[in-house]
Amino acid sequence: MADETFRTILIIEDESADAALLLRGFEKAQVLNPVVHLTNGDDALRYLAGKGEYSDRKKHPLPALMLLDLKLPGMTGIQLLQWMRVQGEIKRIPVVVLTSDENPDTINAAYDLGANSYLVKPGNAAEINRMVQTIQRYWMKLNEPPPLVMRAEQQ
Amino acid sequence: MLSGPVLLVEDDPSDFRLIQRAFNKLPNGFEILRLTNGDDAVAYLSGDDPYENRAAHPMPSLVLLDLKLPRRSGFEVLQWLRRQPAGLCRMPVVVLTSSRHTADINRAYDLGANSYLVKPETGGQLDNLASEFRSYWLRLNEFPSFQAAL
Repeated sequence: MADETFRTILIIEDESADAALLLRGFEKAQVLNPVVHLTNGDDALRYLAGKGEYSDRKKHPLPALMLLDLKLPGMTGIQLLQWMRVQGEIKRIPVVVLTSDENPDTINAAYDLGANSYLVKPGNAAEINRMVQTIQRYWMKLNEPPPLVMRAEQQ
Repeated sequence: MLSGPVLLVEDDPSDFRLIQRAFNKLPNGFEILRLTNGDDAVAYLSGDDPYENRAAHPMPSLVLLDLKLPRRSGFEVLQWLRRQPAGLCRMPVVVLTSSRHTADINRAYDLGANSYLVKPETGGQLDNLASEFRSYWLRLNEFPSFQAAL
């Protein structure tokens, strides 16, 4: 679709080193999509709900994909996921968990709460770059996002 | 990363052949099991007759699900799956359909589809879909365990 490059990717990651590697990966992959980076669950909730400084959906559009770390200050990734899945249209936004936690119990819990996919953070920059490319090609080009994303941008 | 086969639920024989051919072109391919209707998919995932033997009928790692299916539709299979006891309800489901209707996309996500793919129109696009599907789900994704359901 022609408008796929206008779809926003929302990254929720508190570790500044991890976030920097991830954002550099998106730059290197020449991803044209706007990438929004937030550092905690409470900000993410306000962004998704369109509250406070995020009330203008033209400036802060709903994302077509969310990359969600689980260990966050304040509201955790799991709590944010739980909140999202009982909302209206927001519940349809694809959420890919991206964490260093490889515990099978955590993986199971994330899927039980409605994570669309679960990825473990790679160990080095080259692997992160490859992962970002794969994420971009699958979720931004191949996957059909929920239509709310596009409506938000056309407003 | 993928321990079990991919269960493809697709009633259209020519779509099935095209999808199978695209996946078979990939090196280090993976096993694809095919069922042609929603009732069979539910029986297979439940381990009901004639699929009781898990050695012969292994639990898939992922379901590739068409929406328009005879008997139980893809939506009904998805709804049934997400209401199963702990374990089975986690099964990742990627919808693969020819429908681009807003109502179908929304309903699939509302019922808990992990991803929604539209069947491409050309062989080249289908090859690309198979390749990207494999790169993402089979190489990158971590799968839940279904032990509780077995």
